[in-house]
Amino acid sequence: MDTWLGPLKDNTVVKMVSITIKNLTKTYGNTIAVKDVSLQIKDKEFFVFLGPSGCGKTTTLLAIAGLIKVDSGEIWIGDDMVTSVEHGIHKVPQEREVAMVFQDFAIYPHMTVFENIAFPLKIRKLKKNDIDESVRKAAEILGISELLERKPRQLSGGQRQRVALGRAIVRKPRVFLMDEPLANLDAKLRVQTRTEIKKLQRELGVTTIYVTHDQVEAMTMADRIMVQRDGVVEQIGTPDELYNHPANLFVAGFIGSPPMNFIDCTLVEKGNRLWLDANEFKIAVPEEMANKLRSYVGEEVIVGIRPEDLYETKTVKEPVPENTIIATIDVIEPVGPYVLLHLRAGQLYLVASVKHTRANIGQQVNIEMDCSKIHIFDKKTARAIL
Amino acid sequence: MRFPKFRRLSLYILLVLLAFMFMLPLWTCFTTSFKTVEDVIYTVPMEPPVSPTTEPLRTAFDIMERPLLNSFMFTLAAMILSCLLGSINGYILTKIRFKGSNTVFLLFTIGIFIPYQAVLIPLVLTMSRLGLYNHIGGLILTHTAYGIPITTLLFRNFYGLIPDSLIMAAKTDGAGTWTIYRRIVLPLSLLPFVVAAVFQFTSIWNDFLFGVVLARGAEARPASVALANLKGTTEFQWNVQMAGTLWYALPVLVVYMILGKYLIRGYMAGAIKG
Repeated sequence: MDTWLGPLKDNTVVKMVSITIKNLTKTYGNTIAVKDVSLQIKDKEFFVFLGPSGCGKTTTLLAIAGLIKVDSGEIWIGDDMVTSVEHGIHKVPQEREVAMVFQDFAIYPHMTVFENIAFPLKIRKLKKNDIDESVRKAAEILGISELLERKPRQLSGGQRQRVALGRAIVRKPRVFLMDEPLANLDAKLRVQTRTEIKKLQRELGVTTIYVTHDQVEAMTMADRIMVQRDGVVEQIGTPDELYNHPANLFVAGFIGSPPMNFIDCTLVEKGNRLWLDANEFKIAVPEEMANKLRSYVGEEVIVGIRPEDLYETKTVKEPVPENTIIATIDVIEPVGPYVLLHLRAGQLYLVASVKHTRANIGQQVNIEMDCSKIHIFDKKTARAIL
Repeated sequence: MRFPKFRRLSLYILLVLLAFMFMLPLWTCFTTSFKTVEDVIYTVPMEPPVSPTTEPLRTAFDIMERPLLNSFMFTLAAMILSCLLGSINGYILTKIRFKGSNTVFLLFTIGIFIPYQAVLIPLVLTMSRLGLYNHIGGLILTHTAYGIPITTLLFRNFYGLIPDSLIMAAKTDGAGTWTIYRRIVLPLSLLPFVVAAVFQFTSIWNDFLFGVVLARGAEARPASVALANLKGTTEFQWNVQMAGTLWYALPVLVVYMILGKYLIRGYMAGAIKG
């Protein structure tokens, strides 16, 4: 097999492996699982598919692995065309040289840890010594050397996870595919393993696609993220881009915890200035944003503001009256490093994340909005205007 | 739940009585096998023999030896073949899946419900064309074919419990369809194999109809048919018949004793823990 990179025992330079997907579509009966997905993943990149369950992220992953056949589109791994409906190409998984880690770990219950990790090498009929060396190296990297003779049922969830990772890294695949590998671990272990997987990926320098529905996982691990919903790509970008420049309402609401506040407004022009009118209050549009918004005057828009961009006016040095909302505190949630205020202003419910507060539940407070941080979305198309 | 003493006592009495009733024929069979012809005539069947003898057992064995050997050979062969084929079918139907695989499975299940009698004439015709009439090969082929639907159903249900991710993992690890079967699916199949094997062994061993129709001569005659022939045409040698029955029942009893515990575990499938 010409793409075979050899077992994990020497430090052979890994090939450049980018992944290109062109117009991928997959339907199950009448349901469209993946619709016209195109993207390019760079060599050595940690790329995350993010979205709610049923959004098509796992289907896309399985298509890359060759575990399902697609209806149309192309997939390239490096300069190797592995899927092309047009050319009638569908390479089987074993020819793709990708390694996959599953949510339920999928380690073979009848084999010991050693046999599990050795399996991909045995299939390739490697020499016994080479297999032995590679397995021990992989086990050492993952800190499971003393577990090699155990059976999977004698292992904890975290240990099983490591065995699954070991089986993936032992043969130096071109690509790692990970399908929610942390979903079955408890919260503490999940955070710890998250860091370890990211570190491992850096060290091995293998292009990785990681599927998750957990936006925190996506934000903390990814070089870039693709947000998917109902089979459609909503946005592709770095965590920073997704957080600070969401392309649409869905991404804006999906990324960030607690989520972004959305306020229905009408854009009005009064006294040479643009205002966002939300019935309960008006917000002055900063001058630098005004130009892009002119054409929307008189139309309905949705203003998005993240909880951390709302402040109690007492804590702001120079409050700006045009950007202030008077609201009642419904609930106070002290999280530790910050405090969440659940606020009500007329029909409107907002969440503000502040450093500290002296206010009490039921009290009225003045909340100021950092207007340079607002996001404005077209109500009809749900797309970001700016 | 706690029973009052009286109710518990009556429950035990009832259970012992039922067990006794159930064991009675076997006991009678056992006692009669060790009786002389005189004992059979002058004692009540349930009574132990007055002058015990192994003569009936030896006589029965002389007659049954060849048929028992025949039965043993084709039962074992058909059992192994039908289990193996059922396992492969179950694997393909659950883990590989192809267009129309549900229809194929439906056809298999219909096979379970076809009564033996319905196929007898075409069966005999086919076997004589193949030159397998009056031949152990014919019995092996027939029992294998008739066993496949039920073993397929059994293995399919069991393989439904093996997570698909295990198969997908093996695929990405580089294994092809047969390697996955041999190295992943087969080693995980001990329980269904035991269940299917016991089921097939007993039903093939106990079969009379196919045996009597397909093997008339001594060279292929199964034990079930030979046992029926022990009942002579003029006189009833009860002791020899009973002894023959004991010989005939022995292999099935042994199989149950060895594999019984697996059988119970297998019936309560779902018993594969990751």
